[in-house]
Order: sequence, then structure tokens, then C-alpha cells
Amino acid sequence: MNPDDFADAFDARVDGALEWLSDHGAAVFDLFDEMLKGLYQAVYWLFSLAPFPVMALLIGLLAWYLTRQLRFAIGAALALGLCALMGLWSETMSTLALVLTATIQALVVGIPLGVAAGLSETLKRIFEPVLDLIQTLPPYIYLLPAIALLGYGTATALVATFIVAVPPVLRLTALGISMTPKVFLELGHASGTSAWQQFFKIRLPFALPSIMTGVNQSLMMAFGMVVIAGIVGSGGLGEVIYGAIRTLDIARSINAAIAIVILTLILDRLAQSTTRTTRRVGHDTH
Amino acid sequence: MTLTDITFSPGSYLAPAVDWLNANLHPLFAAISRFIEAALGGIEGGLLALPAWAMIVLITGLTALFISRRAGLLAACMLGFCWISGFWSASMQTIALVSVSVLISVAIAFPLGIVAARVKRLEAILGPVLNVMQTVPPWVYLIPAVMVFSLGKVPAIIATIIYGIPPMLRLTTLAFNQVPKDLLELGQATGAKPRTILLKIELPCAMPTLLVGLNQCILLSLAMVVLAGLVGAGGLGAEVTRGLTRMEMGLGLRAGLTIVAVALLLDRLSRGALEKRTARNPV
Repeated sequence: MNPDDFADAFDARVDGALEWLSDHGAAVFDLFDEMLKGLYQAVYWLFSLAPFPVMALLIGLLAWYLTRQLRFAIGAALALGLCALMGLWSETMSTLALVLTATIQALVVGIPLGVAAGLSETLKRIFEPVLDLIQTLPPYIYLLPAIALLGYGTATALVATFIVAVPPVLRLTALGISMTPKVFLELGHASGTSAWQQFFKIRLPFALPSIMTGVNQSLMMAFGMVVIAGIVGSGGLGEVIYGAIRTLDIARSINAAIAIVILTLILDRLAQSTTRTTRRVGHDTH
Repeated sequence: MTLTDITFSPGSYLAPAVDWLNANLHPLFAAISRFIEAALGGIEGGLLALPAWAMIVLITGLTALFISRRAGLLAACMLGFCWISGFWSASMQTIALVSVSVLISVAIAFPLGIVAARVKRLEAILGPVLNVMQTVPPWVYLIPAVMVFSLGKVPAIIATIIYGIPPMLRLTTLAFNQVPKDLLELGQATGAKPRTILLKIELPCAMPTLLVGLNQCILLSLAMVVLAGLVGAGGLGAEVTRGLTRMEMGLGLRAGLTIVAVALLLDRLSRGALEKRTARNPV
């Protein structure tokens, strides 16, 4: 068989299948597209409610509340102010909204699945190779199936980001749930707790630090992907960079890169501080 | 004048600096470009020297001989897919890009990692830097590379090298920190020279962790090389970008699946080497 024949046949088959899908499943995909866009726009609306000085101050306050480090909090607020001065405020907020929307979706799916995988060995063995595969492949290619079905735009970026963000939280939730010390489970049995109590009062508190680490990692994976998704028209800083690189607009791409680094540092520190808080609480309880 | 009218763009101050660099250090950058292009051309030429079928047979044979029969079968399937999907030369280009960047990444990260394992102050300095490097999205690495080296393969490789250093460096340091103390003392007690201790005691003990680092370095480099299709790096990344931007989904998916094949090939081969190593001398 000649590679060229195979390639042509493959392309024709894929195009045909996609055409069929978009003819027959248009309603479903449109609905899906609308839902994702609606969700994103709701989050973005929240972020764009206040003008930038107020918003930067609020995030600074949140940073202070979570980390109790005055220097970091002031730094975060000032750095966000810099994003606004560089004329990238709405892009920064839309990137933030995209990351949060995708992370929330990933958590909604990943945590329950992770709990299930932590409780059932069979399920865990089914998930394992799939997660391995997802984490082995370059994230860039997840844009392909999404763009084929949903077209150019925000929804595609969200779907691709979702795929990348699910594995860490799923894996670490499963790990946390399955690592509950045996003694405590037996203690629960002995004192006659119901299955629900067993789960919420014993397993979940023990798993919480691990789950929070997973949330943290998912958030950072989502952030990386959202920036890449600029190429499919996700909006936000990724798209600014994509445009600036293609036109070799050095000044603008440096600005966008600075904004991305600022956002990375703030998100990372905030997410890590929540992990640390739960760990401390977890220690206090036993 | 309201608050929103004030603008400040660090980029417009930095852009002249970049221009200055390009104007004054041009010979240096040109030399780096030539070196990388030569290395890349050599490897690519080597990979494409034989016809596809001969190359598949050769790699399958070598894999089966040195790693395992199963790995050989996997290599045959994956390479076969690269060939039948019509992206043989693009796949080889991608593999060449990954090889060159991984080689340079390892050449930088490995010695630095050993030094960091010995000098605690260097480790303390490198820690936060590596943290930031690993959290920043890979996209950002392409920007400085493109500014200095313009579009093409060279900026792609530079960005990939920088992206591949942190995992390798981190795991090298970890590997050498994990070497059991009693073995080192044994070496000193028998009067071995530092070089002998490094080569005969530390390196074998550190090998499994080093290979984990290599595996991560390879996979992250592949991800970056594919992404670098956006800046004209060629190879499979360019095909995916073409598919994405022109909405030619057949082409894009075909290139995507070929990337899956290359990723699986590189992952399983490096992991196979690791498993064989740990099976042979369990530490």
C-alpha cells in the first residue's frame, strides 16, 4: 500500500465524517458551544464588573487573606496594575476567566471520577492507561478534535484545556482517597458509622491535602493550555502573543509575555497557599 | 487625563535593546545558528539516508536486540504508522529536532545538576528559578527565541532546550542527593579517587532517577517542538498548525495521530531502557 493513497483516503474519510457530524449533530454541538461560551461569559462578566484598580486591589486582598504575606499581596496588586498600564487589562481578565472556567469544569468531572477510582480498584485500572496517554501526548494536539467539532473560538479552547486539566486532579484525588490509613477505617467500622459518614468524616479529610495538590496542578496545566489555545481564537493573552509573533511585533509580545508571567506567579502562589492551609488544618484534626 | 489614559509599555523600552543585541552580537547568534543547523542537518540526513522501510527494519531490530521484543514490535508499529500516514520525512524531522534539543539540554543540565547536588548554595539559588521556569507556560519561551533568532528551526530548538533543562536538572540533583551515604564512605575508606567514586559509585546509583529525568526531558521537548510548528520549525508541528489554521481537519488529525505515534515511540523506548536497567542491577 502506498502512503499517499492511505493519506488521501484518510483525509477524505475524516472530512466526510466531519461533514456528516456537522450535518446531523449540528444542534448538539451548537448547544454545547453556546453552553461553554455562556459559562465563560458569565465568569468574564464577573471579572469585568469592577474597573481595574478595584479589581487589582481585590485580588491583592485575596492574596493577603490566603497567604498572609503583605509583600506578596502588594506585589500582586501592583503587578496587575502593570498589566492594565500595558493596555492588556481585558486580555488578562479574559485569560483568567478562561482558566477558571476550564479548571472548574475539570474539577467537576475530575473529583467525582477520582473518588470513584480511589474506591474501586477496577475503575482505577481502567483510568490509569487513559490518563497516562493523555499526559504523554503533546497538549497542542488536543486542539484538533475540539476545533473540528466546535470551530474557531472560545469553546474549542475550553474543551482542549479541560482535557489537559482533568488528569492531575483525577489522579491525585484517587491517590488521596485510596491512601486513607486502615486503622481509621477500622475505627469507623467499629464505631458503626454509615458508609456516607465513613466517606465524609474519614476518607475525605485525609484525602484533602492530596486533592488540593491536584487542584493546584490542574490549575497550572489549564493555564499553560489556555495560552496555547490563543491559536484557535480563544481570546486573551495567548491570542495577543500569537498575533504579535506572527507579525514580529516585539514590543507587544514582550508585554504579553510579562503579563503571562505575572499571572502565572500570582496563580501559582495562591493555589499553593490553599494547599498549605488545608495541610495545616488536616494536621490539626488528628 | 483619567487613569485609563496612562500607559506604560516595558516592551517598547526592551525592543530597542533587542535590536541592539541583534545588531552588535550578530556574529555570535549567527555562529549558534550555524552550529545548531549543522547538528540538525546531520541527524536529519542520517535518519533520512535509508529508505523508510529499511530504517523501520533497522530500528525495530536494534530495539528488539537491546531492549525487548515487545518494544521492538511497538517500534515497528509506530514507525510503520509514521510511514503509512505519509509523514515519514516530517516525523524524522521532528525526531531530529527532539534529539538535538535533548542532547544539548542534557549537556547543560547534567553537569549543572551534579554541581548543584554538591554545592548546597547553588541548589538553593536554582530551586526558585526552576520553579518559575516550570510553571510559566511553554509559549512564553518562544518569544525571546523568536526575537533573537527570527522564525525557523533555530528559535524552536533554543526554546526547547530551555524548556527541557529544568526537569533534567532537578532529577539529576535529586539522583545524586539520593546516593546512599554508606556507599560513598565505603568508597572513601577504600581510598578511591573522587573521579572513581563519581563514575563507579555515584553514577550507577543515580542511573534510574537520571533515566526518569531523561524520559521527562524527551517528552517535554517533544511537546515544545510540536508547539514550535507555530514559529516555522517544520516537522509534524508545522503540519498540525497547517491543519488548524486552514481548517483542513483530515491533514491535522493525521499529523496529530502521527505525533501520538512518535510520542509513544519515544516514551516507551526511553522507559524500556529504564526498566531494563533497573531489572539488571536493582539498587
